[in-house]
Amino acid sequence: MAELSWVATAPLSHVLKPGHHGAETGGSGVAYTGLSDFALVQVMARRGKASALAKAAKAHFGVAAPLKPKAVAAGGSLLIWSGPDQFLALSPRDGLASPLASLAGPLAGAASLSDQSDARALIRIAGPRARDVLAKFCSLDLDASVFPVGTAAATSVDHTAVTLWRGEDTAGGAATFNLLVFTSFAESLWHMMLDAGAAYGIEVGEASYGV
Amino acid sequence: MRIACPYCGPRENGEFSYLGDATPVRPSLEQGVDAMLDYVFLRDNVAGEMQELWYHGGGCRAWLKVTRNTLTHEISAVEAARGAGAAKVGKR
Repeated sequence: MAELSWVATAPLSHVLKPGHHGAETGGSGVAYTGLSDFALVQVMARRGKASALAKAAKAHFGVAAPLKPKAVAAGGSLLIWSGPDQFLALSPRDGLASPLASLAGPLAGAASLSDQSDARALIRIAGPRARDVLAKFCSLDLDASVFPVGTAAATSVDHTAVTLWRGEDTAGGAATFNLLVFTSFAESLWHMMLDAGAAYGIEVGEASYGV
Repeated sequence: MRIACPYCGPRENGEFSYLGDATPVRPSLEQGVDAMLDYVFLRDNVAGEMQELWYHGGGCRAWLKVTRNTLTHEISAVEAARGAGAAKVGKR
């Protein structure tokens, strides 16, 4: 009988090749970073419990969970709006502890929790040409005047539902966008992104989230 | 065509799925077979303004009630459908 073994791999491990991609001259206009080692929990208010969740989340995180499409820093977590009465809690993965463990008590009764840590890939797009790349596959207006730092959106990219938010600018002042995508669509999205950014030169890397 | 999602803002219609007429209301069993037949199968083919259900599946996954003119595609109102978002339940 054949031996079957399952090896845990990052969703982009087959396609993410660190280094320079695309245009050979003119440096890198954009950087793609595959981020791993994060914990991601979907928090959804139970029926009629939206205000109870708002209270419990404020008490637990110390800041109000976003009621509009925004990403809000809350201590070591980032709370990202994902729809009415729901948000994602993103944080560095804490060893082997269940991502649900710290939330289950404080949010009990008010929200349903779902561990999405291994269900999504997290990609960071940064650099002076980040908006030019995104303009090729995202239909949203990402200009700084309407999409300031901390703005989030649930939208579709490349026929795939994604959660998008703008992070703090890079040290060099370039815009940074973060993209959460279902793992099974991550490779397809990645190939499309390499094509979209090739003309600007891409610096591909990988990193642990929050480090 | 763009639809202004009350949660997300204006989005291209590719992010939405169309369900159809938002006005039929499920009849009680006492109203008989004809009323149920009408509810399940029969739809008016409106030339003009109608209220429709749209699902924002490519975004916030909320159901919306959209008032659209079928002759011009002009959308005059968009609101969350009853029950869209747990906050709405029990408040109507």
